[in-house]
This record gives sequence, C-alpha cells and structure tokens, in this order.
Amino acid sequence: MARSQGLLQGSPAFEAEALASLESLYRTALRLTRVPADAEDLVQETYLKAFRAADSFKPGTNLRAWLFTILHNTARNRIRDRARDMVSVDSDAVERLTEAPPPGRATETPESLLLRDTLAPDLQAAIDALPEAFRQAVWLRDVEEFSYAEIADMLSIPIGTVMSRISRGRHLLFEQLNHARSLNV
Amino acid sequence: MPGPSMSDCAAIDPLVTPYVDDQLPEDARAQIERHMRACPPCRARVTAERAVHDLIRARRGALSAPCAPAALHSRCLQHAERAANAVDQPARPSVIAFPDVASRAAQAQPPVPVSWRRRLAPLALAATLVLVVGAAFLYQLTVSSTHVMAAELAIDHMKCFALNGALHTHDEASAVESSLLTGFGWKVRLPAGARQEGLELVGSRPCLYGEGKIAHIMYRRSGEPISIYMLPDTARTQEVVQVLGHRAAIWCDGKRTFVVLARQPQREVERIASWVQASMK
Repeated sequence: MARSQGLLQGSPAFEAEALASLESLYRTALRLTRVPADAEDLVQETYLKAFRAADSFKPGTNLRAWLFTILHNTARNRIRDRARDMVSVDSDAVERLTEAPPPGRATETPESLLLRDTLAPDLQAAIDALPEAFRQAVWLRDVEEFSYAEIADMLSIPIGTVMSRISRGRHLLFEQLNHARSLNV
Repeated sequence: MPGPSMSDCAAIDPLVTPYVDDQLPEDARAQIERHMRACPPCRARVTAERAVHDLIRARRGALSAPCAPAALHSRCLQHAERAANAVDQPARPSVIAFPDVASRAAQAQPPVPVSWRRRLAPLALAATLVLVVGAAFLYQLTVSSTHVMAAELAIDHMKCFALNGALHTHDEASAVESSLLTGFGWKVRLPAGARQEGLELVGSRPCLYGEGKIAHIMYRRSGEPISIYMLPDTARTQEVVQVLGHRAAIWCDGKRTFVVLARQPQREVERIASWVQASMK
C-alpha cells in the first residue's frame, strides 16, 4: 500500500492527495450509510477533521488509510451521538447467525462461470444486502484494496476478525449470487 | 508431520482468506494446497471464496465508478482551502461552516496565499505526487465556479506530471497533434517556437473532467511543469485565478475554453498564455 512519504501536512500536495480520495471515501460512506445525503455529510466531516488535524498525520504512513480511519471513527461517533442505526455492527450476533459455511455445501462446483457472468449492478446489490460487518470488510478489502492491518485499524477490530468477516462476507455473496441465479434459471 | 494438523478441516479455516488473497507465506500455502488435494469440500470452499474475490476484482472498475456529487467535491475543496488559509493566517478565527447548497459551495474563494509555495519543499511534492497517481480520481462537473474548475485542473496538472515523472513518457509534437485531432477533432499545430521560449514538450493526455474529456498538453520549462488545457464545448470568461499554489490563465475561443496553468508568477503565466493564444489558433 502506498506510503505518503515526505508529505507535508497542510501543504497543497497533502490536500491534493487527500482530495484525490474523495470518490473512494464517498463510495465507502454510501456503503456505511446507504443514504446519499448522510454519506455526503460523513465525507465532509471527514475532510474537515482531516484538514484541521493535518498535523497529527504521520508522514510516511498511508494518507488514504488515515482518511478512511477518520471516516469510520466519525461514523461510529455519529451512531453514539445520534443513537441511530446507521452502522449497526452487532457483529457478534451477526457472526453467530452466520456460521462458517459447512465444507462442501453448495460449493461442489466452483460456479465461476456464473460469477463471471454476474453484472456489476447485481454484484453491487448483493454487496449492499450483506450484513453491515461483512459488507464493510469485503468492501474495504476487495474494492478499496486495504490490507488486513489497515482495515483492523479502521474498524477497531483484531486482524483475525477482519479475515473472518471477509471470509464470511465472500461466502454469503457466493450463496446469494447462486441463489439469485437459481431463481433466474 | 510437524505443525498443525491439516487433516483437520477446522485448522484450515483461518488460512482460507489469506490464501485467496495471496497473503500466506510459502510454507503455509503449501500446507493448505496439500490439504485441499486430499479434501474436496475444503477445496470447493476455497474455490467459492476465490470466485467471489475474482468477481469483485473483475468488476472493481464499475463498482468504484465516480459517483460523488459535484457539490461535495466543491465543498471539500473549500474545506481544504479554508484550512490552508487558516494555517497561513493564524490570527484569523478558523470558523468553518458547512455550506448547505451547491451554489454556495461553488462560490469563488479568496486567493490562496502565495506563502504556500514557500512552505512546500519541491522534493516532497515530487515524491507525493507519484502517490496521487494511484488514487482513483475523476473530476466532476463544476459549472458554476471558474475557481473550482481551476483548482481541479491544478490537481489534474500535478497528477499528470507525477504520472509522467513515473513513466518518463515523452511525445513528439506530431504524435501530440495526431492525438488531439483524433481525440478532440482539434486540428492544431503545436507552436514551432516552443524551444525558443524555453519550453520542452512533454506530451499530451486526454484527462477526465466533468462528464467528458479535456485535452491536456504538457510542457516543462527549466524543469517546471506547465499545462495547457482545452475544454471542448465550454465557455468561461477571461481571467487569471490563483489556486492551490498555481495560477491559471483562462480564456475562451469559440466553443473552447483554454487554460494555461503553472506554478509561475502571474506575469509569466499571462505571457505564456499570450504566446499560446498567438501560436495555437
């Protein structure tokens, strides 16, 4: 992952690189909030905090990951402040409900052809339908391409939990897409 | 066999995801592959996870297509500039409010203090801009503010030169002219007197801005990047704006808007713009 070496906090280059992450921050905010107006507010607040706290950014670390951490912290704080069900990460309950897929179940064939034929809008819908905890983990890993450690920092969870959420999320997606296919066939 | 018993399917569970993500060391990878050869259910499980992983990666371009509203870009850009102004003018109260409508967000901003340029170490900038290239960044339509447009072009300017610095591409004038003709229907002959002006042609790029493409011709003078942009079907009033440590000389010719953008004194940018106007009709 890119390291923002030599980046001067508060410099035009810092701000330009920070703003270059706006689209990915907004996409991720949309996955978190599902409401465009809330996602916009979240991204704005993230940038406000980032620019105000630019001095706390450590040169040599990943600026994009730093921004995503602010985004997720802000989202969590909003839940606490507003007691709203925006990021309802009752992850333990979710993970209890979604046990690891039994080996071999529904996976006797790889279905890779089916998956290759899945269009982006269907995939997006399937991702959006995932329980929050898995949606975040899969999105941050597979779309935004953060490392396990970076995601662990952002979500304030152990790396092992990050991996298990990615795994569960992918398997849920596999089953969901297969199910959708069986309905369409 | 030493190590965890891979005959136990439960032992393989925590390894599946890092295996699919190609994050396992070689010995662990060999272990999981040995186990999969003997365990069709685990093999199928890995295959399923990998299929989803590959599918998302294959659709990543569509999933990460730009979708943030133009007004959000404008508002966040304002936050950046206000933060910069606050740094440059510490005595000024740093009151930052959320503009609640796009029109307010896109209002012209106060000039960015020149002291930015002094604060910026050139080497740090060069190192940073290479990283900007890796970020997914597409410009949004900002019709209501020339200042915002100039700011986004300034970011594009930095990004494109960083990319050029990484790739070391160098186009000939004929290649640039050809790409401008095929890409934009813009029949242009690049000024022959560029060398006399001390300008070294770097190349051209079709950059993304708003909902279409813009032509971007890149020069260097004494190593300093200079960009010429042509925005088709766009009308702007003639002016010079200062933004993000750059100056942008803007003028309109027919249905095309031209912008010369550089980190040069205003007098110098205006001189280059005059030269471009005279040379590239």
